[in-house]
Amino acid sequence: MCLTHTWDNPMQFVLACVSYAVGLGNVWRFPYLCQMHGGGGFLIPYMLMLVLLGVPLFYMELAIGQKMRLGSIGAWRAISPYLGGVGMASVVTSMYLCLYYNVINAWSFWYLFHSFQSVLPWAECPVNSNLTGPVEECERATPTQYFFYRETLDISGSIEENGGIHMGQALCLLLAWIIVYLFIVKGVKSTGKVVYFTATFPYLVLIIYLIRGVTLHGAINGVKYMFTPKMEQLAKPTTWINAATQIFFSLGLGFGSLIAFASYNQYNNNFEKQAIVVSMVNSSTSIFASIVTFSIYGFKATFNYESCLERVRLLLLNTFDLAEDTISLENVNHWIAELNRTHPEQFASLGGRLETCDLEAELDTAVEGTGLAFIVYSEAIKNMPVSQLWSVLYFIMLLLLGMGSMLGNVIAVITPLSDLKFISVLSYLVGLVCLFCLLLGLGFTTRSGNYWFTMFNDYGATFSLLFIVLIEVITVCYIYGIKRFEKDVEDMLGHRLNWYWKIMLAGVSPILLIALFIFYIVNYIQGGTPTYQAWNKELGKSVVTEYPPYAQAFIGLLLASSVCCIPLTALYTYCKKRNLASGKRERTVSTVSA
Amino acid sequence: MPSLTVPPGAPPILQSLTVPPGAPPILQSLAVTLERMLVRILVLLYLAGAPALAQTLCQPNASNGYRVRISIKTALGNQAYEWNENEMFLFRATMAFAMRRYYKTETYNVDNIIVCNQTRRVSFWFVVISPENPTMLIPKADVEKAVSMSRHRINNAFLLTDRTLEFLGIYPTLAEPVNPDTPPWLIVFGVVIGAVFAGIIALLVSSLLQKRRKEKGMMEDGQDEEDRQMKGVENGINLDGIYNRGFTDDDRFTKL
Repeated sequence: MCLTHTWDNPMQFVLACVSYAVGLGNVWRFPYLCQMHGGGGFLIPYMLMLVLLGVPLFYMELAIGQKMRLGSIGAWRAISPYLGGVGMASVVTSMYLCLYYNVINAWSFWYLFHSFQSVLPWAECPVNSNLTGPVEECERATPTQYFFYRETLDISGSIEENGGIHMGQALCLLLAWIIVYLFIVKGVKSTGKVVYFTATFPYLVLIIYLIRGVTLHGAINGVKYMFTPKMEQLAKPTTWINAATQIFFSLGLGFGSLIAFASYNQYNNNFEKQAIVVSMVNSSTSIFASIVTFSIYGFKATFNYESCLERVRLLLLNTFDLAEDTISLENVNHWIAELNRTHPEQFASLGGRLETCDLEAELDTAVEGTGLAFIVYSEAIKNMPVSQLWSVLYFIMLLLLGMGSMLGNVIAVITPLSDLKFISVLSYLVGLVCLFCLLLGLGFTTRSGNYWFTMFNDYGATFSLLFIVLIEVITVCYIYGIKRFEKDVEDMLGHRLNWYWKIMLAGVSPILLIALFIFYIVNYIQGGTPTYQAWNKELGKSVVTEYPPYAQAFIGLLLASSVCCIPLTALYTYCKKRNLASGKRERTVSTVSA
Repeated sequence: MPSLTVPPGAPPILQSLTVPPGAPPILQSLAVTLERMLVRILVLLYLAGAPALAQTLCQPNASNGYRVRISIKTALGNQAYEWNENEMFLFRATMAFAMRRYYKTETYNVDNIIVCNQTRRVSFWFVVISPENPTMLIPKADVEKAVSMSRHRINNAFLLTDRTLEFLGIYPTLAEPVNPDTPPWLIVFGVVIGAVFAGIIALLVSSLLQKRRKEKGMMEDGQDEEDRQMKGVENGINLDGIYNRGFTDDDRFTKL
């Protein structure tokens, strides 16, 4: 890269890494894992995996980028010509990520624009055509689910049923890509200025939400639930596996973004300190965001619990014709027992209509991913006072987090392509990539688009990344050689590699990665046919459905396409070198003979 | 002399009381008094039985009756009023008003609305009797239409809503959804994308200006630019060098 393409100051680089690493996964995946694996106790495997796996690999990628000063393809080719495919695989995976990740930003835009109404559209069910009651689908599900599945996505019943493009979604996707283009069009000059905002503003919103969250009624239930550790979860291996994968994907290793960011650094930039800082910031943001999430969870659960109690109270009042102020919310349960005792037949006639209200059960409903962000959170927001303000703030935060991560994804694709010098003018290259991703991304805005989105989300990056990073670590430590790596680092930083980095990079991380890799394969094989959650209109809830054969083939293609780059490129380089060598031998022979 | 003839529509017991014409005068006067007593008893029974008859018209699960459930405390909280006979009177008057409005007559009165089975919940059944014929009930469908028509007025009379003054079986017609011409989200979208396009245009203009400035600069020291570009490329690798402007190539010393 030319000297002119650098960050203005090291702060921009750190903020870019923070903006990339702190993304939607911190807000919606970490709280879910925390809840699934025993609350406060999950922090132990999480911190352990951060120290053993996350920070050393992060350090390694920054070192490679800063040393080679090229994007992922060029950098890996420079390290070992046979393993240039690693960079290629990174670019392919990043491309898949670019395709589907911006759809989340499109949804955030959609929700943001819909927040500017006096009544939030997901607060109430719309009325049906006869004006007799709410729309049936909305009645069976909840208004927030109806808004997400019907009005936002207009989702079909299964992945096979296609439909037209949702115009609103397409417009929002177009907007999202135009904004990404604007952020990257001038290379790191523009990106460097944008990351000041995208990295810091989400924290402001998180702090505001923290204050709002902990002052909500019932928030303390959620926070207490999160922090009570259930130590028995630590005995399960899935807890440790999930902690490792969370660290892994949260830091964004293996996509080539970190290498791309670091390639714009000054040669002697102290990336060691920065690696530690960014990893710590990322993890603390996860914990901070989960406090916010859990206080809002607690509020929602308490609200639902109290609504349930109110419904039971009304039911009892109406069935037994008691005066209104005899039963209050506090003594509902006492009255249930009392009425069961005194009027058993009438009580039995209530039958299934009497709900059991359980706060624990409400808190236990763990949701992750897009479900958490767009359904659970918006349900909690609609019950807050001045809900429009909180809605706008929340979706702006989601947008900034998503845009920050998109910057890293697109730069991971742009940097190697600009190294290859296909198109010399940067703005044209960026425009071409954005246009290409936009056109393909329109496929995710069709009626079955969400199912394809889930497929990409679950399979597009998980397995291939593990493989890529495993090859990366083995390449750097054993093929390139840890001694050469050590010398390069000393050249850049001025001091030798610490024993910690050496042990982790050469020993612990590869072993952990191999274990993770084996676990994934075993899990995939044992899991049987891959399934997905299809939204059933009649039932008003999601139903587990198997993927049709062509979709399964597509999953295989997704996995294979990025992983295959590595052996294919190795083979190609090997053949080329052999041809070159045999070509030289022929020429030398001919001159001698002549 | 009291008539000894029994009127034709009289009940059989009275007819059997006719005394044969040749009976002694004491028997005749006895028969007359008995007759009078019976008539009075029957009239009394009839008068007493009328409300009872009306009461039998109003029953829980009556075929033409509706159940009303009122939740004052839920609706008004601290400002809840007590449900008493006066409120019940108001209810019956309001229902009579609703019936008048529906049929567009002025014959309905408070007496035409009969209420029964009041509970502590504050729920009760009511039926509507026709003003012409007190034994005839107004059919359920008509009562429903009358209530739906004046529902808003009935609710307001009691400071309640559709949810807190329930007529079980009559579903409230929901408000017509407001459909604006442009959906509000499109307006916000338009604002944002307008700002974005303004940003793009600003970018294009600034890059155009920069290019023009560079061109002007190139014309002034074009020679140096060419030298720098040539010296920068060697063996296909871009050398990161800065042209040393201190170097001059024009010394007059002879070359050895």
